Amino acid sequence: MVQEKRRTASFLTTEFYLTIFLLAVLIFLGIFAKGFYTINNIMSILNAYSYTLIAAIGMNMIIITSNIDVSTGALVSVVCFASAALGKLGLPFPVLLPAAMIMGMILSTINGLFITKTRIPSIVATLATTQLFQGVLPLTTEGSIYDLPATFTWLAFEAKIFGIVPASVLMCLIITVIALFFMRYSRFSKKLYAIGNNQNSARLSGINVEKTIIITYAIAGALFGVSAIIIATAGQRVTTTMGSGLEMTLIASVILGGTSTAGGSGKVLGTVIGALILSIVSPAINYLGISPNWSDAIKGAIIIISVVVGAAQYVKKKRVIKVPAGGIS
Amino acid sequence: MAKKKGFKLTFNAILFLIWLFIFAGIATISSAFLSPNYLINVMLRNIIEIGMVALPMTLIIIMGGIDLSVGNIMVLASTLGGLASISLGSGPAILITLVTGLVCGLINGLVIVKAKISPMVTTLATMYLYLGISRGISKGSSIYSYDFATFLGNTSLFGIPLQIWIYILLAVIFTVLLSKTTLGRKLYSIGLNENATRYAGIDVDKIKLFMYVLCGLICALASFIWLGRFTSIKFDAGTNFNMKVITIVVLGGTSINGGIGSMAGTIIGTLIIATLNSGLTVMNIPIDVQTIVQGSVLIVSLIAYAVVNSRAKKKKLIKIQAAPKQAA
Amino acid sequence: MKKNLLKKIIATAMVGIITLAMFAGCSKTQTPDNTQGGGKKTADGKITIAMLPKFKGENYFDAVKIGAQEAADELGITLLYDGPPQDQATNQKQVDILEGWIAQKVDAILVSPNDPNAIAPTLKKAQEAGIKVVTFDADAQKDARDLFVNQITADATGKGLLEAAARELKAKGYGPNKKANIALVSSSGTDANQAAWEAAIDKYLATEEYNFMVIKNKETDVYYPGTDETKVNAECATLISRMGPGEDQIQAAIGLSSMATPALGAQYQSASKKPDANAITLTGLATPNALKTYIKDDEHPMNAGMLWNCMDLGYLAVQVAYQLTKGDITTESTSVNAGRLGTKEIVDRECVLGDALIFDKTNVDNFNY
Repeated sequence: MVQEKRRTASFLTTEFYLTIFLLAVLIFLGIFAKGFYTINNIMSILNAYSYTLIAAIGMNMIIITSNIDVSTGALVSVVCFASAALGKLGLPFPVLLPAAMIMGMILSTINGLFITKTRIPSIVATLATTQLFQGVLPLTTEGSIYDLPATFTWLAFEAKIFGIVPASVLMCLIITVIALFFMRYSRFSKKLYAIGNNQNSARLSGINVEKTIIITYAIAGALFGVSAIIIATAGQRVTTTMGSGLEMTLIASVILGGTSTAGGSGKVLGTVIGALILSIVSPAINYLGISPNWSDAIKGAIIIISVVVGAAQYVKKKRVIKVPAGGIS
Repeated sequence: MAKKKGFKLTFNAILFLIWLFIFAGIATISSAFLSPNYLINVMLRNIIEIGMVALPMTLIIIMGGIDLSVGNIMVLASTLGGLASISLGSGPAILITLVTGLVCGLINGLVIVKAKISPMVTTLATMYLYLGISRGISKGSSIYSYDFATFLGNTSLFGIPLQIWIYILLAVIFTVLLSKTTLGRKLYSIGLNENATRYAGIDVDKIKLFMYVLCGLICALASFIWLGRFTSIKFDAGTNFNMKVITIVVLGGTSINGGIGSMAGTIIGTLIIATLNSGLTVMNIPIDVQTIVQGSVLIVSLIAYAVVNSRAKKKKLIKIQAAPKQAA
Repeated sequence: MKKNLLKKIIATAMVGIITLAMFAGCSKTQTPDNTQGGGKKTADGKITIAMLPKFKGENYFDAVKIGAQEAADELGITLLYDGPPQDQATNQKQVDILEGWIAQKVDAILVSPNDPNAIAPTLKKAQEAGIKVVTFDADAQKDARDLFVNQITADATGKGLLEAAARELKAKGYGPNKKANIALVSSSGTDANQAAWEAAIDKYLATEEYNFMVIKNKETDVYYPGTDETKVNAECATLISRMGPGEDQIQAAIGLSSMATPALGAQYQSASKKPDANAITLTGLATPNALKTYIKDDEHPMNAGMLWNCMDLGYLAVQVAYQLTKGDITTESTSVNAGRLGTKEIVDRECVLGDALIFDKTNVDNFNY
């Protein structure tokens, strides 16, 4: 009973103080950033937020298993470009979306297989596949795909709910709700946390660790695919490097949301708030009249402060039962 | 112990053979590659900064840590140093560069040790932070070299660029440090089992802190050479630098889980990447194919290590935390 | 122990074989697109010219390459073309590529630097090795290159862009009595050409003709999103949301890179509540293909774009580099006979291609790059 209580309390704190921080920032912006709360700005932030969050939910799952994926940016570039090639043929969005999801799933499953079959630590394995993904695109094509038809840009240009909210936001909302329930109640998610906490005991308790990790990468890959199609359809031109560097934003969102890279902990809700905070930084400082040159420093400071504050709550508890700070994670 | 040593030697020998293969392959295909001028002034000179940072990175990875912020420490150190040189002159600029490296490393170390946050998370956050500070302070424009940096980056001693001498000196020091000192032993021990090491009465926190500070300092040193070689540096110059360094260390046979690795491996890894970089460029292979080749070399070596290690590992002590390597 | 040894041998063999296979693969892939081969130059006496764009894989430099290849075929020379990927358009990558070319002793190098000062030492090294160095598109330090092939003077670019914006703004009721706020979307902040254009724009904004347009706050109204497509899109989205008729809003946005202008068009199109098209205007530099859809759309506030003929730029650059290598022209020459482009003047070691190309919905379909 006591333990139960403590868990609830710690759950409250991580997401709770993030929410408080977010609210404070939003109020601050309302007072000092003139014009920040215009529909256009909110919607453009939400659109960028939606592709970040969708992919971050996938990354969150991977990190919970105490793995990581640094190839996401390169993977998204590949899916963006391949989707554009399909889009050039005039295929509509209902075809492009599953196509992108399948492509993302395939590429990410390669990562998963590589990690589980060779037992190479995920950070190194995905570092290697990053280079493959990055190199393969310019080989297959020269330059960019441009003058894409209206069927391709439909999502960004026309698909607005009530004529205002971009459809990407709705997609993000649906995925988030599913993820919230899935990660809380499904048996599969229990396995993820078990593997992240201790892979060996998870194995001993009868979980097929390898299969679970591969499936996790596949699901995450499908989410990266959704994210990629939102990024790709933003304009009528797609080049070979769209989405590059995305992985760092994703990992940062997940970490800011309180997920430990050691695995075994972390909630979707944290990632939801973490990604939102990071998505607001750049537009916010532009509206506040601060040079965009400071945006990265502010992001870095937010992450480090929040992580340190978050850790401070656990340090006491950890001293009692010291968990080995294993490996690099 | 003797067995282990023999095993390691073979391992580096394999790596050395791979390097010879690659080197010979490129040399036969491209005649321009084999000129001593190209080998020394381009191939070796271009890898020095990465190779230099790979040395302390090997130590950090062996003790189970990682530092993703190295590239941005370098940029921040050069940025602050470069700006200081304009108003204060070279002397203070040198001091500020070194202090910046030291402080950056100290911040990394303190957060990792005191707040007990995993090295990856910490250095990912400070990576953004250092990048952002350099960008903000430089207002996004380039920082220019000054006399000391230019001297370090462009002077030759006995026909060989000064930075290669510095690298050789550092390589020797680090090799001795890792293989001949108790500190080196302790690093392996921390990497294999941090808690056990702690219970054995070793001040793990102090060693960790020292390593991150050392890494920051080496970054600052490398940043002089970097700034001098390119004559100017922009805030985004450090992007991907961390991955390049880690690639070299991992290619050199150091396990990312800690506890395994050697300095000789890292040095050979540096040579392999240098040869690939400069060799493929001189063969006019497009940059995209170069990326694929580097990725493939990394994958192949990783698989090779995995095959060799899986057997050797089983015999070793059961490690609780290095779970991915464990067979059921 | 024995098994261990066996595994080691297998591993070595595997690594060896794969490495060799990779090399075989490399040399194979290398042969077709490199039939004219760098090293073979001395054998058949062919001149080799190497071209380094700021980055590759984007319409602008793709078009330049087409023109360059055309000139190379016409002159019967070898053209090497490589550059950094779009998201890594940094000086370091360019230097890496250049050093490979210097070692091969190509005859001439054509380069569009990402940073005019940082690249200078490497270019000087090339000159010391007897290689002719010609910059195109963007200049480097003057003493680090022999000639500069400029597409259009910075002055003309600045004026052209402002004129395009001013014309639209005046039609929408702005003028000396009603000031308009403008914003610029530049590139990485160190490119020589963008910097020169910004300076020219500043100069013309101070003149009576254009002083009804103002850049209110340089910190926030001049964007430097770099060359990465996703980042450019995100920053343009923020800019579009700041646009509108109000005094603290922005009325005109000018894109200074071939990534920024299409992104402005796309982000306007995807805005939820589109700013009043009768109150704002968008324009800038981009290839016609990249803007086609927006320009042809009557409800879109982007009605004209500006560029120069990219293919001609590539063509001229190769012509100049070739003739410089052959000795037909020197750095002292005052004109160059540039094949199908006729004679071009060289003033102060700078060869200007010509005038700006302004395209709108009447002629945008005539271009295909």
